[in-house]
Amino acid sequence: MYVGPFETTESCDEWKREYDLAFPVVPDADGALFRRLTSGWVPWSILVAPDGEVVFSENEFDEAGFGAAISQLLAKQTGVAPTATESTQRTPAARRASKAATVVILGGGVGGIVAAHNLRASLGEEHRIFVIDRSPDHLFQSSLLWLMVGDRREHQIRRPLERLTRRGIEFVHDEVVEIDLERRLVRTRARTLDFDYLIVALGARTVPESIEGFGEMAHDLYSLEGSRGIKNALDAFTGGKVGVLVTSMPFKCPAAPYEAAFLVESFLRAKGVRDRSEIHVYTPEHQPMPVAPAALGASIVEMLSARGIQYHPLFTFQKMRPETREIVAADGHAEKVDLLIAVPPHQAPEVVRSSGLLGVSGWIPVDPGTLRTEHEGVFAIGDVSTVRLPSGKSLPKAGVFAHNQAVVVARQIADEIRGRRDGARFDGGGYCWIELGDGRAGFAGGNFYHDPEPRLRVARPGRAWHWGKVAFEKWWLRRWF
Amino acid sequence: MKVLDESGKGVAAGSKLDLASLGLPVAGRRGTLVVFWKRQ
Ligand SMILES: Cc1cc2nc3c(=O)[nH]c(=O)nc-3n(C[C@H](O)[C@H](O)[C@H](O)COP(=O)(O)OP(=O)(O)OC[C@H]3O[C@@H](n4cnc5c(N)ncnc54)[C@H](O)[C@@H]3O)c2cc1C
Repeated sequence: MYVGPFETTESCDEWKREYDLAFPVVPDADGALFRRLTSGWVPWSILVAPDGEVVFSENEFDEAGFGAAISQLLAKQTGVAPTATESTQRTPAARRASKAATVVILGGGVGGIVAAHNLRASLGEEHRIFVIDRSPDHLFQSSLLWLMVGDRREHQIRRPLERLTRRGIEFVHDEVVEIDLERRLVRTRARTLDFDYLIVALGARTVPESIEGFGEMAHDLYSLEGSRGIKNALDAFTGGKVGVLVTSMPFKCPAAPYEAAFLVESFLRAKGVRDRSEIHVYTPEHQPMPVAPAALGASIVEMLSARGIQYHPLFTFQKMRPETREIVAADGHAEKVDLLIAVPPHQAPEVVRSSGLLGVSGWIPVDPGTLRTEHEGVFAIGDVSTVRLPSGKSLPKAGVFAHNQAVVVARQIADEIRGRRDGARFDGGGYCWIELGDGRAGFAGGNFYHDPEPRLRVARPGRAWHWGKVAFEKWWLRRWF
Repeated sequence: MKVLDESGKGVAAGSKLDLASLGLPVAGRRGTLVVFWKRQ
Protein backbone atom coordinates (compact mmCIF):
# COMPACT_ATOMS: atom_id res chain seq x y z
CA MET A 1 0.00 0.00 0.00
CA TYR A 2 0.97 3.63 -0.36
CA VAL A 3 0.68 5.89 2.67
CA GLY A 4 0.53 9.58 1.81
CA PRO A 5 1.83 11.89 4.53
CA PHE A 6 -0.32 15.02 4.86
CA GLU A 7 -2.87 13.70 2.34
CA THR A 8 -6.62 13.39 2.82
CA THR A 9 -8.96 10.52 1.96
CA GLU A 10 -10.14 12.50 -1.06
CA SER A 11 -6.66 13.33 -2.37
CA CYS A 12 -5.61 9.69 -1.92
CA ASP A 13 -8.64 8.50 -3.91
CA GLU A 14 -7.77 10.94 -6.66
CA TRP A 15 -4.12 9.79 -6.61
CA LYS A 16 -5.24 6.17 -6.89
CA ARG A 17 -7.50 6.98 -9.86
CA GLU A 18 -4.99 9.17 -11.66
CA TYR A 19 -2.23 6.55 -11.59
CA ASP A 20 -4.62 3.59 -11.82
CA LEU A 21 -3.15 2.00 -8.69
CA ALA A 22 -4.41 -1.49 -7.87
CA PHE A 23 -3.49 -1.33 -4.17
CA PRO A 24 -4.71 0.75 -1.20
CA VAL A 25 -3.59 4.38 -0.92
CA VAL A 26 -4.04 5.50 2.67
CA PRO A 27 -3.86 9.05 4.03
CA ASP A 28 -1.70 9.97 7.00
CA ALA A 29 -3.35 13.34 7.43
CA ASP A 30 -1.30 14.72 10.33
CA GLY A 31 1.92 12.90 9.38
CA ALA A 32 1.97 11.01 12.70
CA LEU A 33 2.76 7.64 11.12
CA PHE A 34 5.29 9.24 8.83
CA ARG A 35 7.08 10.81 11.81
CA ARG A 36 7.02 7.60 13.77
CA LEU A 37 8.09 5.12 11.09
CA THR A 38 10.41 7.00 8.73
CA SER A 39 13.31 9.45 8.88
CA GLY A 40 11.31 12.10 7.06
CA TRP A 41 12.25 10.98 3.53
CA VAL A 42 10.09 9.55 0.75
CA PRO A 43 9.96 6.98 -0.64
CA TRP A 44 10.24 4.94 2.55
CA SER A 45 9.47 1.24 2.14
CA ILE A 46 8.63 -1.05 5.04
CA LEU A 47 8.05 -4.76 4.54
CA VAL A 48 6.16 -6.38 7.42
CA ALA A 49 5.94 -10.17 7.88
CA PRO A 50 2.59 -11.70 8.90
CA ASP A 51 3.85 -12.00 12.51
CA GLY A 52 4.50 -8.24 12.56
CA GLU A 53 8.27 -8.42 12.19
CA VAL A 54 9.75 -5.62 10.08
CA VAL A 55 12.07 -7.32 7.56
CA PHE A 56 12.97 -4.26 5.47
CA SER A 57 12.87 -0.54 6.22
CA GLU A 58 14.76 1.74 3.88
CA ASN A 59 14.56 5.07 2.10
CA GLU A 60 16.09 5.04 -1.44
CA PHE A 61 14.97 1.76 -2.91
CA ASP A 62 17.64 -0.89 -2.63
CA GLU A 63 16.74 -3.67 -5.03
CA ALA A 64 19.26 -6.17 -3.75
CA GLY A 65 18.13 -5.57 -0.21
CA PHE A 66 14.50 -5.80 -1.05
CA GLY A 67 15.05 -9.08 -2.90
CA ALA A 68 16.88 -10.46 0.12
CA ALA A 69 14.07 -9.29 2.43
CA ILE A 70 11.45 -11.04 0.29
CA SER A 71 13.50 -14.26 0.40
CA GLN A 72 13.73 -13.93 4.18
CA LEU A 73 10.00 -13.44 4.37
CA LEU A 74 9.34 -16.51 2.25
CA ALA A 75 11.88 -18.55 4.23
CA LYS A 76 10.03 -17.61 7.42
CA GLN A 77 6.85 -18.99 5.92
CA THR A 78 8.34 -22.23 4.65
CA GLY A 79 10.14 -22.67 7.96
CA VAL A 80 13.58 -22.85 6.32
CA ALA A 81 15.62 -20.78 8.72
CA PRO A 82 19.08 -19.57 7.67
CA THR A 83 21.60 -21.85 9.37
CA ALA A 84 23.62 -20.35 12.16
CA THR A 85 27.37 -20.65 11.91
CA GLU A 86 29.53 -21.35 14.86
CA SER A 87 33.28 -21.46 14.75
CA THR A 88 34.71 -24.84 15.65
CA GLN A 89 38.26 -23.74 14.95
CA ARG A 90 40.69 -21.92 17.14
CA THR A 91 39.69 -18.32 17.65
CA PRO A 92 42.04 -15.50 16.56
CA ALA A 93 43.09 -15.03 20.18
CA ALA A 94 44.16 -18.66 20.41
CA ARG A 95 46.05 -18.45 17.12
CA ARG A 96 47.93 -15.45 18.40
CA ALA A 97 49.66 -17.66 20.90
CA SER A 98 51.37 -19.43 18.00
CA LYS A 99 53.01 -16.05 17.25
CA ALA A 100 52.28 -16.29 13.55
CA ALA A 101 48.99 -15.09 12.20
CA THR A 102 47.59 -15.45 8.70
CA VAL A 103 45.53 -12.61 7.31
CA VAL A 104 43.66 -13.42 4.12
CA ILE A 105 42.32 -10.53 2.05
CA LEU A 106 39.75 -11.31 -0.61
CA GLY A 107 40.00 -8.84 -3.48
CA GLY A 108 42.89 -6.73 -4.76
CA GLY A 109 40.78 -3.66 -5.45
CA VAL A 110 40.87 -0.40 -3.49
CA GLY A 111 40.11 -1.83 -0.05
CA GLY A 112 42.21 -4.98 -0.49
CA ILE A 113 45.48 -3.35 -1.51
CA VAL A 114 45.28 -0.61 1.11
CA ALA A 115 44.60 -3.15 3.87
CA ALA A 116 47.45 -5.39 2.66
CA HIS A 117 50.01 -2.57 2.54
CA ASN A 118 49.01 -1.18 5.92
CA LEU A 119 49.17 -4.61 7.55
CA ARG A 120 52.54 -5.34 5.99
CA ALA A 121 53.90 -2.06 7.28
CA SER A 122 52.92 -2.86 10.86
CA LEU A 123 53.44 -6.64 11.17
CA GLY A 124 56.65 -8.66 11.27
CA GLU A 125 57.59 -11.23 8.62
CA GLU A 126 56.35 -14.16 10.70
CA HIS A 127 52.81 -13.01 9.95
CA ARG A 128 51.56 -13.87 6.48
CA ILE A 129 49.38 -11.61 4.40
CA PHE A 130 47.60 -12.97 1.35
CA VAL A 131 45.67 -11.06 -1.30
CA ILE A 132 43.49 -13.18 -3.60
CA ASP A 133 42.08 -11.75 -6.83
CA ARG A 134 40.83 -13.39 -9.99
CA SER A 135 42.12 -10.53 -12.06
CA PRO A 136 45.88 -10.24 -12.71
CA ASP A 137 45.59 -6.44 -12.58
CA HIS A 138 44.38 -3.74 -10.27
CA LEU A 139 42.22 -1.31 -12.24
CA PHE A 140 41.86 2.31 -11.13
CA GLN A 141 38.16 2.42 -11.89
CA SER A 142 37.50 6.15 -11.65
CA SER A 143 39.82 6.70 -14.63
CA LEU A 144 37.41 4.70 -16.82
CA LEU A 145 35.62 8.02 -17.22
CA TRP A 146 38.73 9.56 -18.78
CA LEU A 147 39.34 6.45 -20.89
CA MET A 148 35.83 6.82 -22.29
CA VAL A 149 36.63 10.27 -23.73
CA GLY A 150 40.14 9.36 -24.90
CA ASP A 151 42.06 11.08 -22.08
CA ARG A 152 43.66 7.82 -20.89
CA ARG A 153 44.89 4.58 -22.41
CA GLU A 154 44.31 1.24 -20.75
CA HIS A 155 47.90 0.63 -19.67
CA GLN A 156 47.89 3.96 -17.83
CA ILE A 157 45.14 2.95 -15.42
CA ARG A 158 46.02 -0.59 -14.39
CA ARG A 159 48.89 -2.24 -12.59
CA PRO A 160 49.88 -5.91 -12.17
CA LEU A 161 48.88 -7.22 -8.73
CA GLU A 162 51.94 -9.50 -8.86
CA ARG A 163 53.92 -6.40 -7.83
CA LEU A 164 52.51 -6.77 -4.31
CA THR A 165 54.96 -9.63 -3.79
CA ARG A 166 57.85 -7.12 -3.94
CA ARG A 167 56.47 -5.68 -0.73
CA GLY A 168 56.19 -8.98 1.10
CA ILE A 169 52.50 -9.54 0.36
CA GLU A 170 51.58 -12.95 -1.09
CA PHE A 171 49.40 -12.60 -4.17
CA VAL A 172 47.18 -15.47 -5.27
CA HIS A 173 45.86 -14.99 -8.78
CA ASP A 174 42.75 -17.14 -8.59
CA GLU A 175 39.01 -16.99 -8.12
CA VAL A 176 37.60 -17.34 -4.61
CA VAL A 177 34.91 -20.02 -4.80
CA GLU A 178 34.07 -20.67 -1.16
CA ILE A 179 34.26 -18.88 2.18
CA ASP A 180 33.86 -21.44 4.96
CA LEU A 181 33.29 -19.47 8.14
CA GLU A 182 32.82 -22.53 10.28
CA ARG A 183 36.19 -24.03 9.42
CA ARG A 184 37.76 -20.62 8.94
CA LEU A 185 39.10 -21.27 5.49
CA VAL A 186 38.81 -19.94 1.97
CA ARG A 187 38.86 -22.01 -1.20
CA THR A 188 40.00 -20.82 -4.58
CA ARG A 189 39.87 -22.96 -7.73
CA ALA A 190 43.34 -24.31 -6.98
CA ARG A 191 44.04 -23.80 -3.26
CA THR A 192 42.66 -23.82 0.24
CA LEU A 193 43.88 -21.20 2.69
CA ASP A 194 42.97 -21.05 6.34
CA PHE A 195 42.88 -17.74 8.10
CA ASP A 196 43.09 -16.13 11.52
CA TYR A 197 41.70 -12.92 10.12
CA LEU A 198 39.66 -12.48 6.98
CA ILE A 199 39.01 -9.20 5.17
CA VAL A 200 36.30 -9.45 2.53
CA ALA A 201 36.93 -6.71 -0.04
CA LEU A 202 35.38 -8.30 -3.12
CA GLY A 203 33.55 -5.19 -4.26
CA ALA A 204 30.22 -5.15 -6.07
CA ARG A 205 29.60 -7.37 -9.06
CA THR A 206 27.95 -5.67 -12.01
CA VAL A 207 25.47 -7.78 -13.92
CA PRO A 208 24.59 -6.20 -17.29
CA GLU A 209 23.66 -9.70 -18.49
CA SER A 210 20.65 -9.59 -16.13
CA ILE A 211 19.05 -7.10 -18.56
CA GLU A 212 17.84 -8.52 -21.83
CA GLY A 213 19.23 -6.64 -24.79
CA PHE A 214 21.91 -4.79 -22.76
CA GLY A 215 24.75 -6.14 -24.92
CA GLU A 216 23.00 -5.14 -28.14
CA MET A 217 21.90 -1.71 -27.08
CA ALA A 218 24.04 -0.29 -24.29
CA HIS A 219 27.66 0.42 -23.41
CA ASP A 220 28.58 -0.50 -19.85
CA LEU A 221 30.00 2.60 -18.18
CA TYR A 222 31.47 0.48 -15.36
CA SER A 223 33.72 -1.90 -17.30
CA LEU A 224 36.92 -1.56 -19.27
CA GLU A 225 35.29 -3.11 -22.30
CA GLY A 226 32.27 -0.81 -22.01
CA SER A 227 34.41 2.33 -21.68
CA ARG A 228 36.35 1.25 -24.77
CA GLY A 229 33.02 0.84 -26.59
CA ILE A 230 31.88 4.31 -25.53
CA LYS A 231 35.12 5.80 -26.84
CA ASN A 232 34.63 4.16 -30.25
CA ALA A 233 30.96 5.15 -30.36
CA LEU A 234 31.77 8.77 -29.46
CA ASP A 235 34.47 8.89 -32.14
CA ALA A 236 31.94 7.73 -34.73
CA PHE A 237 29.09 9.89 -33.39
CA THR A 238 27.86 12.57 -35.76
CA GLY A 239 24.83 13.75 -33.78
CA GLY A 240 21.69 12.36 -32.18
CA LYS A 241 20.46 11.53 -28.71
CA VAL A 242 22.85 10.29 -26.02
CA GLY A 243 21.32 8.72 -22.90
CA VAL A 244 23.13 8.04 -19.63
CA LEU A 245 20.98 5.51 -17.78
CA VAL A 246 21.11 4.26 -14.19
CA THR A 247 19.36 0.89 -14.35
CA SER A 248 18.95 0.31 -10.60
CA MET A 249 20.05 1.20 -7.10
CA PRO A 250 22.41 0.96 -5.35
CA PHE A 251 25.38 1.65 -7.64
CA LYS A 252 28.95 2.53 -6.82
CA CYS A 253 30.26 6.06 -7.11
CA PRO A 254 27.02 8.05 -7.04
CA ALA A 255 28.66 10.87 -9.03
CA ALA A 256 29.86 8.71 -11.95
CA PRO A 257 26.78 8.86 -14.24
CA TYR A 258 26.68 12.65 -13.86
CA GLU A 259 30.40 12.93 -14.51
CA ALA A 260 29.90 10.77 -17.62
CA ALA A 261 27.19 13.16 -18.88
CA PHE A 262 29.40 16.22 -18.27
CA LEU A 263 32.41 14.64 -19.99
CA VAL A 264 30.36 13.50 -22.99
CA GLU A 265 28.89 16.99 -23.30
CA SER A 266 32.33 18.57 -23.32
CA PHE A 267 33.64 15.92 -25.77
CA LEU A 268 30.80 16.49 -28.24
CA ARG A 269 31.29 20.24 -28.03
CA ALA A 270 35.01 19.93 -28.77
CA LYS A 271 34.16 17.62 -31.65
CA GLY A 272 31.79 20.21 -33.09
CA VAL A 273 28.63 18.07 -33.00
CA ARG A 274 27.08 19.35 -29.78
CA ASP A 275 24.45 21.43 -31.60
CA ARG A 276 23.29 18.29 -33.38
CA SER A 277 23.10 16.27 -30.14
CA GLU A 278 20.94 15.91 -27.08
CA ILE A 279 22.20 14.51 -23.79
CA HIS A 280 19.82 13.00 -21.23
CA VAL A 281 20.36 11.43 -17.81
CA TYR A 282 17.74 8.86 -16.68
CA THR A 283 17.85 7.67 -13.07
CA PRO A 284 15.59 6.17 -10.40
CA GLU A 285 17.06 8.64 -7.85
CA HIS A 286 14.98 11.65 -6.87
CA GLN A 287 18.07 13.85 -7.08
CA PRO A 288 21.77 13.37 -7.87
CA MET A 289 23.74 11.82 -5.00
CA PRO A 290 20.64 11.35 -2.82
CA VAL A 291 22.57 10.49 0.35
CA ALA A 292 24.21 13.93 0.37
CA PRO A 293 22.35 17.03 1.54
CA ALA A 294 19.76 18.24 -0.99
CA ALA A 295 21.77 21.39 -1.78
CA LEU A 296 24.54 19.33 -3.40
CA GLY A 297 22.04 17.47 -5.60
CA ALA A 298 20.40 20.76 -6.54
CA SER A 299 23.73 22.27 -7.58
CA ILE A 300 24.42 19.28 -9.85
CA VAL A 301 20.96 19.64 -11.42
CA GLU A 302 21.76 23.30 -12.03
CA MET A 303 25.08 22.50 -13.69
CA LEU A 304 23.41 19.85 -15.89
CA SER A 305 20.83 22.35 -16.97
CA ALA A 306 23.45 25.07 -17.61
CA ARG A 307 25.10 22.68 -20.09
CA GLY A 308 21.81 21.76 -21.74
CA ILE A 309 21.82 18.22 -20.32
CA GLN A 310 18.28 17.04 -19.63
CA TYR A 311 17.67 15.35 -16.32
CA HIS A 312 14.99 12.68 -15.75
CA PRO A 313 14.86 11.75 -12.04
CA LEU A 314 12.54 8.97 -10.76
CA PHE A 315 12.91 7.13 -14.08
CA THR A 316 12.47 3.57 -12.84
CA PHE A 317 14.07 1.62 -15.63
CA GLN A 318 12.34 -1.62 -16.55
CA LYS A 319 13.59 -2.92 -19.91
CA MET A 320 15.42 -2.26 -23.15
CA ARG A 321 13.97 -2.67 -26.62
CA PRO A 322 17.02 -2.96 -28.86
CA GLU A 323 14.89 -3.33 -32.01
CA THR A 324 13.54 0.22 -31.60
CA ARG A 325 16.49 1.47 -29.48
CA GLU A 326 14.17 2.33 -26.62
CA ILE A 327 14.55 2.26 -22.86
CA VAL A 328 11.29 1.70 -21.02
CA ALA A 329 10.34 2.80 -17.48
CA ALA A 330 8.09 0.88 -15.09
CA ASP A 331 5.20 3.25 -15.88
CA GLY A 332 5.45 2.30 -19.58
CA HIS A 333 7.11 5.54 -20.64
CA ALA A 334 9.64 4.81 -23.43
CA GLU A 335 12.54 6.93 -24.69
CA LYS A 336 14.42 6.36 -27.92
CA VAL A 337 18.17 6.79 -27.56
CA ASP A 338 20.85 6.65 -30.28
CA LEU A 339 23.84 6.12 -28.01
CA LEU A 340 23.15 4.51 -24.66
CA ILE A 341 25.66 4.61 -21.80
CA ALA A 342 24.40 2.56 -18.87
CA VAL A 343 25.25 1.79 -15.25
CA PRO A 344 24.40 -1.92 -14.91
CA PRO A 345 22.69 -3.46 -11.86
CA HIS A 346 25.00 -4.29 -8.94
CA GLN A 347 24.94 -7.25 -6.58
CA ALA A 348 27.22 -8.93 -4.06
CA PRO A 349 29.66 -11.39 -5.71
CA GLU A 350 28.38 -14.96 -6.04
CA VAL A 351 30.84 -16.39 -3.50
CA VAL A 352 29.61 -13.94 -0.86
CA ARG A 353 26.00 -14.79 -1.59
CA SER A 354 26.66 -18.41 -0.68
CA SER A 355 28.83 -17.66 2.37
CA GLY A 356 26.17 -16.83 4.95
CA LEU A 357 27.64 -13.35 5.37
CA LEU A 358 24.88 -11.44 3.58
CA GLY A 359 22.25 -9.51 5.47
CA VAL A 360 18.75 -8.58 4.35
CA SER A 361 20.21 -5.61 2.50
CA GLY A 362 21.83 -7.99 0.00
CA TRP A 363 25.28 -6.84 1.19
CA ILE A 364 27.41 -7.68 4.23
CA PRO A 365 26.24 -5.77 7.30
CA VAL A 366 29.14 -4.48 9.40
CA ASP A 367 29.68 -2.43 12.50
CA PRO A 368 29.93 1.19 11.26
CA GLY A 369 33.07 1.93 13.28
CA THR A 370 35.00 -1.36 13.29
CA LEU A 371 33.78 -2.94 10.03
CA ARG A 372 33.51 -6.26 11.86
CA THR A 373 30.92 -8.78 10.76
CA GLU A 374 29.19 -10.95 13.32
CA HIS A 375 31.89 -13.61 12.82
CA GLU A 376 34.99 -13.29 14.94
CA GLY A 377 38.03 -11.99 13.08
CA VAL A 378 36.02 -11.51 9.87
CA PHE A 379 35.76 -7.98 8.46
CA ALA A 380 34.07 -6.63 5.34
CA ILE A 381 35.04 -3.33 3.70
CA GLY A 382 34.17 -1.32 0.63
CA ASP A 383 31.42 -1.95 -1.86
CA VAL A 384 30.56 -5.45 -0.64
CA SER A 385 29.67 -4.14 2.82
CA THR A 386 26.76 -2.01 3.94
CA VAL A 387 26.50 0.55 6.71
CA ARG A 388 23.21 2.14 7.63
CA LEU A 389 23.40 5.90 8.15
CA PRO A 390 21.37 7.92 10.67
CA SER A 391 19.09 9.03 7.78
CA GLY A 392 18.15 5.37 7.20
CA LYS A 393 20.04 5.36 3.88
CA SER A 394 23.13 3.31 3.24
CA LEU A 395 26.68 4.65 3.08
CA PRO A 396 27.38 5.14 -0.65
CA LYS A 397 29.64 2.66 -2.37
CA ALA A 398 32.85 4.50 -3.23
CA GLY A 399 36.58 3.94 -3.30
CA VAL A 400 37.21 6.63 -0.73
CA PHE A 401 35.27 4.67 1.88
CA ALA A 402 36.91 1.36 0.92
CA HIS A 403 40.27 3.11 1.36
CA ASN A 404 39.53 4.71 4.74
CA GLN A 405 37.87 1.55 6.07
CA ALA A 406 40.88 -0.55 5.01
CA VAL A 407 43.22 1.65 7.05
CA VAL A 408 41.05 1.24 10.14
CA VAL A 409 40.68 -2.54 9.76
CA ALA A 410 44.41 -3.03 9.22
CA ARG A 411 45.11 -1.11 12.42
CA GLN A 412 42.65 -3.15 14.45
CA ILE A 413 44.07 -6.44 13.23
CA ALA A 414 47.69 -5.36 13.72
CA ASP A 415 46.92 -4.06 17.23
CA GLU A 416 45.14 -7.27 18.15
CA ILE A 417 47.99 -9.45 16.90
CA ARG A 418 50.57 -7.33 18.73
CA GLY A 419 48.48 -7.40 21.90
CA ARG A 420 47.92 -3.64 21.89
CA ARG A 421 44.70 -1.90 22.76
CA ASP A 422 42.93 -1.13 19.55
CA GLY A 423 41.14 2.14 19.18
CA ALA A 424 40.88 2.58 15.42
CA ARG A 425 37.38 3.41 14.26
CA PHE A 426 36.02 4.53 10.90
CA ASP A 427 34.34 7.92 11.40
CA GLY A 428 32.38 8.17 8.14
CA GLY A 429 34.82 10.58 6.51
CA GLY A 430 34.81 10.77 2.73
CA TYR A 431 35.14 13.10 -0.22
CA CYS A 432 34.53 13.10 -3.92
CA TRP A 433 35.64 14.91 -7.02
CA ILE A 434 33.05 15.54 -9.70
CA GLU A 435 34.44 15.89 -13.21
CA LEU A 436 32.62 18.59 -15.13
CA GLY A 437 34.46 18.48 -18.47
CA ASP A 438 36.68 21.18 -20.01
CA GLY A 439 39.38 20.37 -17.45
CA ARG A 440 37.22 21.47 -14.53
CA ALA A 441 35.86 19.60 -11.52
CA GLY A 442 33.89 20.13 -8.34
CA PHE A 443 34.73 18.75 -4.91
CA ALA A 444 32.69 17.84 -1.83
CA GLY A 445 33.79 16.17 1.36
CA GLY A 446 32.90 15.74 5.01
CA ASN A 447 31.37 13.36 7.47
CA PHE A 448 28.77 10.87 6.23
CA TYR A 449 28.02 9.59 9.75
CA HIS A 450 26.82 12.99 10.88
CA ASP A 451 23.31 12.82 12.38
CA PRO A 452 20.67 13.45 11.00
CA GLU A 453 22.32 13.71 7.58
CA PRO A 454 25.87 13.86 6.22
CA ARG A 455 27.63 17.17 6.78
CA LEU A 456 29.60 18.05 3.65
CA ARG A 457 31.59 21.03 2.51
CA VAL A 458 31.09 21.78 -1.16
CA ALA A 459 33.88 23.68 -2.91
CA ARG A 460 33.44 25.98 -5.90
CA PRO A 461 34.18 24.06 -9.11
CA GLY A 462 37.38 24.93 -10.91
CA ARG A 463 40.49 23.71 -12.70
CA ALA A 464 42.39 23.09 -9.47
CA TRP A 465 39.99 20.32 -8.46
CA HIS A 466 40.43 18.56 -11.79
CA TRP A 467 44.20 18.62 -11.33
CA GLY A 468 43.70 17.41 -7.76
CA LYS A 469 41.93 14.36 -9.12
CA VAL A 470 44.67 13.75 -11.69
CA ALA A 471 47.33 14.07 -8.96
CA PHE A 472 45.45 11.57 -6.79
CA GLU A 473 45.34 9.05 -9.65
CA LYS A 474 49.11 9.37 -10.18
CA TRP A 475 49.80 9.08 -6.45
CA TRP A 476 47.56 6.02 -6.15
CA LEU A 477 49.17 4.06 -8.95
CA ARG A 478 52.66 4.89 -7.71
CA ARG A 479 52.02 4.47 -3.98
CA TRP A 480 50.76 0.88 -4.04
CA PHE A 481 52.59 -0.59 -7.05
CA MET B 1 12.98 13.74 -1.20
CA LYS B 2 12.98 15.07 2.35
CA VAL B 3 9.47 15.92 3.51
CA LEU B 4 10.01 16.50 7.22
CA ASP B 5 13.07 17.56 9.15
CA GLU B 6 12.06 16.67 12.66
CA SER B 7 11.52 12.95 12.08
CA GLY B 8 13.46 10.13 13.73
CA LYS B 9 15.54 7.39 12.17
CA GLY B 10 12.80 5.21 10.81
CA VAL B 11 11.50 1.94 12.19
CA ALA B 12 14.35 -0.58 12.34
CA ALA B 13 14.38 -3.96 10.62
CA GLY B 14 13.89 -6.64 13.25
CA SER B 15 11.39 -4.65 15.31
CA LYS B 16 7.67 -5.44 15.51
CA LEU B 17 4.79 -3.46 14.04
CA ASP B 18 1.10 -4.05 14.51
CA LEU B 19 -0.30 -2.56 11.31
CA ALA B 20 -3.94 -2.92 12.31
CA SER B 21 -3.44 -0.95 15.52
CA LEU B 22 -1.81 1.82 13.45
CA GLY B 23 -4.98 1.97 11.38
CA LEU B 24 -3.36 0.47 8.29
CA PRO B 25 -4.94 -2.30 6.21
CA VAL B 26 -3.20 -5.68 6.45
CA ALA B 27 -2.80 -6.75 2.84
CA GLY B 28 -2.20 -10.45 2.71
CA ARG B 29 -1.14 -13.64 4.39
CA ARG B 30 2.42 -13.41 3.08
CA GLY B 31 3.22 -9.97 4.42
CA THR B 32 2.52 -6.31 3.75
CA LEU B 33 4.53 -3.67 1.95
CA VAL B 34 3.98 -0.14 3.23
CA VAL B 35 5.43 2.65 1.08
CA PHE B 36 5.37 6.24 2.32
CA TRP B 37 5.28 8.31 -0.84
CA LYS B 38 4.37 11.77 -2.13
CA ARG B 39 2.31 12.24 -5.21
CA GLN B 40 4.59 13.60 -7.96
C1 LIG C 1 33.45 4.63 -13.61
C2 LIG C 1 33.73 4.63 -12.13
C3 LIG C 1 34.15 5.81 -11.51
C4 LIG C 1 34.40 5.83 -10.14
N1 LIG C 1 34.84 6.99 -9.55
C5 LIG C 1 35.08 7.01 -8.23
C6 LIG C 1 35.54 8.20 -7.60
O1 LIG C 1 35.77 9.22 -8.24
N2 LIG C 1 35.72 8.19 -6.25
C7 LIG C 1 35.49 7.07 -5.51
O2 LIG C 1 35.68 7.10 -4.28
N3 LIG C 1 35.05 5.92 -6.07
C8 LIG C 1 34.85 5.87 -7.41
N4 LIG C 1 34.42 4.71 -8.00
C9 LIG C 1 34.05 3.57 -7.15
C10 LIG C 1 35.26 2.76 -6.70
O3 LIG C 1 36.02 2.34 -7.80
C11 LIG C 1 34.78 1.56 -5.91
O4 LIG C 1 33.87 1.98 -4.92
C12 LIG C 1 35.95 0.87 -5.25
O5 LIG C 1 36.77 0.29 -6.23
C13 LIG C 1 35.49 -0.18 -4.24
O6 LIG C 1 36.59 -0.82 -3.69
P1 LIG C 1 36.47 -2.33 -3.18
O7 LIG C 1 37.81 -2.68 -2.64
O8 LIG C 1 35.28 -2.48 -2.32
O9 LIG C 1 36.15 -3.18 -4.51
P2 LIG C 1 36.91 -3.22 -5.89
O10 LIG C 1 37.89 -2.13 -6.01
O11 LIG C 1 35.85 -3.33 -6.94
O12 LIG C 1 37.73 -4.58 -5.82
C14 LIG C 1 37.13 -5.84 -5.75
C15 LIG C 1 38.13 -6.87 -6.28
O13 LIG C 1 37.63 -8.17 -5.99
C16 LIG C 1 37.92 -9.02 -7.08
N5 LIG C 1 36.97 -10.14 -7.04
C17 LIG C 1 35.61 -10.10 -7.05
N6 LIG C 1 35.11 -11.34 -6.94
C18 LIG C 1 36.15 -12.18 -6.84
C19 LIG C 1 36.28 -13.60 -6.65
N7 LIG C 1 35.22 -14.40 -6.55
N8 LIG C 1 37.52 -14.13 -6.58
C20 LIG C 1 38.63 -13.34 -6.67
N9 LIG C 1 38.57 -12.01 -6.83
C21 LIG C 1 37.35 -11.44 -6.92
C22 LIG C 1 37.78 -8.13 -8.30
O14 LIG C 1 38.52 -8.65 -9.39
C23 LIG C 1 38.32 -6.79 -7.78
O15 LIG C 1 39.70 -6.65 -8.08
C24 LIG C 1 34.21 4.65 -9.39
C25 LIG C 1 33.80 3.47 -10.01
C26 LIG C 1 33.58 3.45 -11.37
C27 LIG C 1 33.17 2.16 -12.04
